[in-house]
Parts: sequence; structure tokens; C-alpha cells
Amino acid sequence: MPKLGRLARHAALVVALALTGWSDPAAAQRVIRVGQADTLTGHNLPELIGLTNTEKRMGVKFNVVALKSDDVVFQAVINNEIDIGIGDAYKGIDTLKAPVRHFFLLRRVAYFPVVNSEFYKTWKDLDGADMAVHARGSATEAMAVQMEKANGIKFGQISFVPGSEVRIIAMRRGTMKATLLDLPNSRKLTEEDPKKFIVLPVETQSASDEIFYATTKFIADNKPLVQALCEELLKSLRAVNADPKAPARLRQELGLLKDLPKPLADDITPYFELAVPGGLFPTDGGGIAAAKADFGFLIAAGRFKGSVDDYKVEDFWDLGPLNAALAEVDKK
Amino acid sequence: MRQIAPSPPPGTDAAVLPRAALAAPGIATPAAAEGASPLPAPAQARRAGGLGDAAWPWQLASFVLVLAAWEIAGHWPVSLAFPPASRVVAAAAEMALAGDFGRAYAVTLPPLVAGIGIVGITGVALGIAMGLSRAFEWFALPLMVVLQTAPIAAIIPLLTYFYGVSATSKIAAVILLAAPIVVLNSYRGIRNTNASLVDMCRSFLGTRRQQVTKIMLPHASGMIFAGLRLGVSAGFIGVVLAELLISPTGIGDLISYNRSIARYDKMFAAIVSILALATVTLSLLQRLENRLFRPDHAVP
Repeated sequence: MPKLGRLARHAALVVALALTGWSDPAAAQRVIRVGQADTLTGHNLPELIGLTNTEKRMGVKFNVVALKSDDVVFQAVINNEIDIGIGDAYKGIDTLKAPVRHFFLLRRVAYFPVVNSEFYKTWKDLDGADMAVHARGSATEAMAVQMEKANGIKFGQISFVPGSEVRIIAMRRGTMKATLLDLPNSRKLTEEDPKKFIVLPVETQSASDEIFYATTKFIADNKPLVQALCEELLKSLRAVNADPKAPARLRQELGLLKDLPKPLADDITPYFELAVPGGLFPTDGGGIAAAKADFGFLIAAGRFKGSVDDYKVEDFWDLGPLNAALAEVDKK
Repeated sequence: MRQIAPSPPPGTDAAVLPRAALAAPGIATPAAAEGASPLPAPAQARRAGGLGDAAWPWQLASFVLVLAAWEIAGHWPVSLAFPPASRVVAAAAEMALAGDFGRAYAVTLPPLVAGIGIVGITGVALGIAMGLSRAFEWFALPLMVVLQTAPIAAIIPLLTYFYGVSATSKIAAVILLAAPIVVLNSYRGIRNTNASLVDMCRSFLGTRRQQVTKIMLPHASGMIFAGLRLGVSAGFIGVVLAELLISPTGIGDLISYNRSIARYDKMFAAIVSILALATVTLSLLQRLENRLFRPDHAVP
């Protein structure tokens, strides 16, 4: 009998705790899963700052995971394994009519054709030459195709060598003679040996590199959250544009990327001092102008067919949260 | 525990092989090879009074069942990225007519053939040497066991440090995957030679060369061939892994490119094509193996 009594007391305690809503506060916090294709480095600070401030404001937790490639992120989003993807989903939306929409432009593409001047000096010299890009289906491959068309040439072979750092080493060794590099790495190479490495002229690039996107259902079900995220991303990008030293400072203040090795941490401010004047981080969140620029880029790269007017912005973007966020942020 | 081997090697009486010696992980044993066969042995089927030689209705039914389940799952849909089988078949036909497969396999198959060729010669030779010499065994066996258990997918991207992004990296990937299987099967084939037969050879004053050429090699030939067949299977995995992880070319390019542009029907068609090619190749090799080394299992 005493045993039964103890059991009853324990049962009553459990029921009481359940009824009074006892729970672990951390467990109660809603987790939003965010997926992107690259490992997080100091270059991702603008979005991390925006995400962290949104967490504080909305009481949610963003769980950012790095997946292998943009297409894996897209698959995870349409399979509801990831709530918000960072990359772009244009081709997936176009091909599958997937119920996915972009809602915020984080970063524009900025890749530059760096060549070994001992072999090539103009675009015409590259006719029939090999061009190395990041990966199949990547923005760099699309740019290479676009550059062929713009300059009336045909590369001998477009080869795929993932990682700007790897391509830089190959350029230095001379095993690669022409490649597309991101802004910091192209500057690094041309400043290292300005006679040997030159950048060929390119038109102003306005296509998107990284855009936030989610399913239409997620955006509709989480309007306040998505708008708050857009607002915080806008604030973050504007702070970065106003002061390229801001990401490194805010990293310390917000305790972001604590495990970043020192060489990478030291690279943060130099990167943003190059990237900000290069126009990598837009301050308007993208929207109609960005979508149309992307249509043009994808058509030029052979990914989309027809003309820009054949594509409707609303089929690829949900402008509601961004417009509301712009109104809110600009009001302040 | 001793067991009568199901396939007496040519030139010898029924081989008596210790079970433990045959049960090493990853080693093709005569029994394992039999189990790996996609075809039930006609002799067994005849004994069972079943369909006799006509195993194909069961195989066809298996394919139809899988394709039907795939079709239903595709229409359900399981995921937008999972197209029904009919759409994949249509995409495969479109790609075949456009010459996509022809161009892709012209890039994928040469490194595979080269890698298998290298492993077929050097791997078998090394395995035989390991079986005949303790020094070779001590030198190479740990390396082969490590290679067999290593997470090769993690190692393959590192090949670019040595061989760049050229076809050499793909050949190296094929060798990495296929070599342990070919070498260890050849080694086991020699090492498991019935000691009584070797003693008999010796008692008839047979030389060491005669022991090797008249007893050991004929005895090991079945396992060596089974190792080569499984090595080809591993080679297919190696070349596709290299094309996916190092430089997207050939069939790996068809898979990764179509995935990147969300043409999942074409992506699955490329995957199915390499599966079909590997299956047909291995089935033909299995038939050849049965005909050469296990005539009681050969399909007429």
C-alpha cells in the first residue's frame, strides 16, 4: 500500500506539471530550418546578423545548415526538410512549377574573367581556349556561356573546378590559364602579379547570386516572420554598405562564428572593403528589378528561353514581405 | 567443419574448402558468387519442378512490379523531385535520340575500361603473389584490407591533389574501388587451395612450378574470375563517384547537370542507364563465369 501511495503521488506530480504547462523554454522555441550551399564563413555575416536579430525580435531559432549544392537545398525546400533556402530556385520553379517563391536578394553575382596574359590578352584570344568555372549548373558556368555569346566566341571546353581558392592555385601553377573568380580572389591574383594576370572587360553584372526563398505555404503561414526577416536583412545590408568594418564588429557584439579560425576572421573586413564598392550587397532586397535582371541573365546563359517579357515576376517572387519591410524600414 | 565446394575447379577433383577461409568479408566465395547470381540455377529449378529454364517470367514480373510501384509513387507524388517511371522512360528515349548517352559514355567508359584493365593484370598478379609468398602477403594484405574498409567517397576528391581533374583521377578512382576486391579474391583463391592436392603433387615429385600451374591456378581460377566480376561492379561505382565528386563529365555530368536544372526525369534516366549498363555487363560476366568455371550452373 505505501508503494501504491508513492506511485499515486508521483503520478499526481506528473499530471500537475503537465497541466501547469511545465516545459523546457528552449524546447518551446520554434526552430526555423535554413539551408544554404556553402559552409558558413565570415562572408556570410550579413545574413547571420539579419537572422540573429530576427531571432531576438521574433523569439524563434534559425538552424542554418550547409548542404552540398544549390540544387540539394532546393530539393530540401520542396520536400519540406528545409523551411528557407538561400541560393536561387529559378530553374526549379520554371521546370517543375514548384510552389516556391523568392523573397529577398542577399548578394549579387560578381565573378571576373581572369586570364594568364602570356597566353590571352583579349576575348578573341579565348576563342577555342579552355575556361574553368566553379561547377556544373553554377552561376559561373552560366556566366561563361553568357560571355561566349556577348563576345562572339566559343570556348574549347568549359571545365569544372570547384572553389575559387583551388582555381587560384591552378592559375599560379600555370595548369589553368583562364577562369572566373569571385571579386576578392580575382583582386588577389591580379595584385599579386599584375603583368601575368589580367581581368578581361565584362559588362556590369546585376544577376543574383544568393536569394532567400521558401514555399508559398511557408511564406503565407509566416507572414510576420518573413517580413521581420526581410526588415532585419535590409538593416544588416545597409549597415554593411555604410561601413564595411561593421560585419567584423557585429560578429564580436553578437557572438557570431565564434569558432572561425584567425586567418579567416582577419579576412572579414578586407573582403567587405572589396565587396561593398563592387556592389555585391544590394540595399533594396531585390524585387522586380532583380527578378528581371535574373531573367535576362538566365536567357543569355541559355537556361531560360524567349525574352524577359515572357516571364512574370510574380511566378518567381513573392514581393509582399519585401515591400512591407521596405515601407517599414524606410519609414524609420 | 568442412564443406564440399559447389564448383570443382577444372583439372582437379572436387575441392574441399574450409568454410572459415571462404567467409572473409568482401571476398567472393563460390557459394557467395552463386548467391549473387541474378538467375536461379536452372538445375535447381528443374529439381524443384518449377519453371525449369524459364526464369524470365519471374524476372519480368519483378521489373513490372518495381516499375508499377515507381509509377504510382511518381504520381502520388512522393516529391516534386521524384518523377513517375513513364516520364523517366520518355526522358531516356529523348536523351538517347539526342545522342546524350552516346557522348556521355564515350567519356565515362574509357577510364573504366583502363582502370579495370590495370587492376585485371596487376591486381590478379599481386593477389597470386600474395597467395604464394608470405613476404608479399605481409606487405600488401594490410593495405588491401584498409582500402577495402576505407570510406572511398571521402578519399576520391583528394585524388585531384595528385592527378588534377583529368581522366587519370577517374582511372585512379576505379583502381581504388576495384583493386582490393580483385587482389583479395585472387589471394584467397590461391591460399585456399586444397592442401591434399598440393601434397599429392609433391608426392608425385611435382615441381613448385607444377604445383602452381597444375594445382593452384586452376583451383583459384573460379575465385579470380569472380573477383574480376565484382571488381567491374566496383569500377562502375568508382567511375561514377569520380565524375560526381571530382569533375562532372560523362554520365556524372548528365546526372549533376540535370539535377542542377531540376530536370529530375533526365537525372533519373541517366542513373537508370548506368544501372542498366552495369547490370547487363555483370550478367554477361556471370554467364561467362558459369560457362567457364561452373558448367553445372551454365545457362544453355
